[in-house]
Amino acid sequence: MLVTWFTDRHFFLLAVAFYGLSTVYSVFLWRIGFRRDDHANYFLLLAAFALHTAAMVKRGFSIAHCPVNNLYEATTFFAWTIVAAYLVIGLLPRLRFLGAFASPVLLAIGVFALMPALDPPHGPQPEFSGALVSLHAATILLAYGAFGLGAVASAMFLMQQHDLKFHKLRAVLSLFPPIQRLEIVAIQLVLAGFILLTVGLAAGRHLPRPADAAYWTDPKVLWSIFLWFVYLALLVLRRLRVPSSRGLAVSFIAAFVFLLLTFWGTNLLSPLHHP
Amino acid sequence: MNVVVIGLSHHSSPVELRERFAFAEARIPGALKSLRGSGVADEAVIVSTCNRVELYAATSVEPAKAFAELREFLLRWGETPSSPNQNAKSGIEGLSPHHKGIYALAEPHSLHHLFKVACGLDSMVLGETEILGQLKAAYDLALKHAHTGPRLNKAFQRAFHVAKHVRTHTNIQRGSVSVASVAVELAEKIFSSLGDREVLVIGAGDTSEKTARALLSRGARNIIVANRSLDRAQALAGELGGRAVPFDDWAGEFSKIDIVISSTAAPHHILDRAKLEPLMKTRRQRPLLLIDIAVPRDIDPGVNFLENVYLYNVDDLQGIADDYLKLRQEEIARCEAIIAEKVKPLLEAKAFLPQMGTDGHRFGTLPADA
Repeated sequence: MLVTWFTDRHFFLLAVAFYGLSTVYSVFLWRIGFRRDDHANYFLLLAAFALHTAAMVKRGFSIAHCPVNNLYEATTFFAWTIVAAYLVIGLLPRLRFLGAFASPVLLAIGVFALMPALDPPHGPQPEFSGALVSLHAATILLAYGAFGLGAVASAMFLMQQHDLKFHKLRAVLSLFPPIQRLEIVAIQLVLAGFILLTVGLAAGRHLPRPADAAYWTDPKVLWSIFLWFVYLALLVLRRLRVPSSRGLAVSFIAAFVFLLLTFWGTNLLSPLHHP
Repeated sequence: MNVVVIGLSHHSSPVELRERFAFAEARIPGALKSLRGSGVADEAVIVSTCNRVELYAATSVEPAKAFAELREFLLRWGETPSSPNQNAKSGIEGLSPHHKGIYALAEPHSLHHLFKVACGLDSMVLGETEILGQLKAAYDLALKHAHTGPRLNKAFQRAFHVAKHVRTHTNIQRGSVSVASVAVELAEKIFSSLGDREVLVIGAGDTSEKTARALLSRGARNIIVANRSLDRAQALAGELGGRAVPFDDWAGEFSKIDIVISSTAAPHHILDRAKLEPLMKTRRQRPLLLIDIAVPRDIDPGVNFLENVYLYNVDDLQGIADDYLKLRQEEIARCEAIIAEKVKPLLEAKAFLPQMGTDGHRFGTLPADA
């Protein structure tokens, strides 16, 4: 009985509820100056991850395909990569507080993904199919997840750096890791995201497409290439030690906010991705 | 059988008095033997540190009588110099048998007191952990010479357990309460590791030396000392295992160093924004922690507005240390609640009940006729 009416979207709704709980707890952690170990938030996000995974698996089985075929699926996959990466990184106690910064982002993405317009009913076959499509979509969404977590680590860096600079007691009382380590974590996440984005874009170049659809003028392709150059430029500049640590953190956050705000729009404008 | 404690601490007596009662470690086994031989104590542990001298005893003698005998033992010990210059150093009036600085506690207060001592709640620096090690050493010494038994074994082991519990579940030992340790803590919040950090000490003052030593103890790699007197710089560098540079050359070290501790007697700023800005360009965006413990200040506060620069002066450090102390003080009530909860089963334990004192009241300072 449960199976018939409890759909993958219900699982996802529950996952979003846990992201909400985690956000509320994060506000509490922030109020007490991040002095308490973040176990509770980790377990809340772990529970959300389990429900989120169940939603994706259920959707995947129902369409017999990797669930990255419409905006709802792409968005949930994107959020899933953020929480999966956090759960791995959060095994290190000092980096567990990333969850407090990630959960509001996850909640926002989750609420957005639940909009019914993003999830039109599938036809007999998904709009796109094939292993290369799955590789393309999955690696790019994983890349966005890594960029997202990189931005979260950068936000944590900025808060801690501000506290240290202006002699706030929270700087020493909080259980945050040193700012140098946060910077390294953010750079590594962005680098991982950049590699995944490169792989995903390379896979997308070889996908079959409708004869009337142009590749190089497609808004989503252009947007993705622009994004690729933005992250490349940031990584190269960092290598050359041009931006300050603060400047780099602000850039990582700005790049991700741009990604978040334009991801859906470019998707809708793209004949290749939204035929 | 009642667990009692008699002694004096920094709360009750000045150092001139405490040093007269101090037990040299080598003499403690003999003292314990003599104490047990007197018949007043079935089990005994002597804790003797710079801040306290305490006799813990498990006794079947009625508490008031036990206190009189234990105090007599303590006074007798205080009249026996443990070092040739002890009496010469003390310079105070002869020991009065009714000295008010000596406190005596019976159950349950003796156990509360033991637990509080173990947790650092009775220490001069609230929440410090050194006392736990000293308490363990005192107990181990008594145990090794077979002067403890089931009562004190249980009481001390439970005290160690409670100290660990309190440390884990409260903030009583959280944070640093000295300028040097706050500086180290700040460095650990900035740098991913102190293991490969270079430290520049400008001006060879006492606090800067302490801070440099604290950083070295946490793994800082190298110390460079610059001082107006090169001889003094070389002497300090030698002590710290670092190297000395002439005072006018310290700016040349800026591309390598990560932490600066400045404490010169200069009447003006020796480092300002105009001087530091070009130096920061050679550092390839690496953070720089500046600790200015000089009064008047050596470093212009304006440098804190430069990217990657973190400046703390002595008031900033002291402010953090004071805030930590306040936090620790706020934790006292929580610690005492934990202690009260943990003492309860010890008092209710069968081994204690049959021979416990009748009322278990606080005896406090012994009355003159006790």
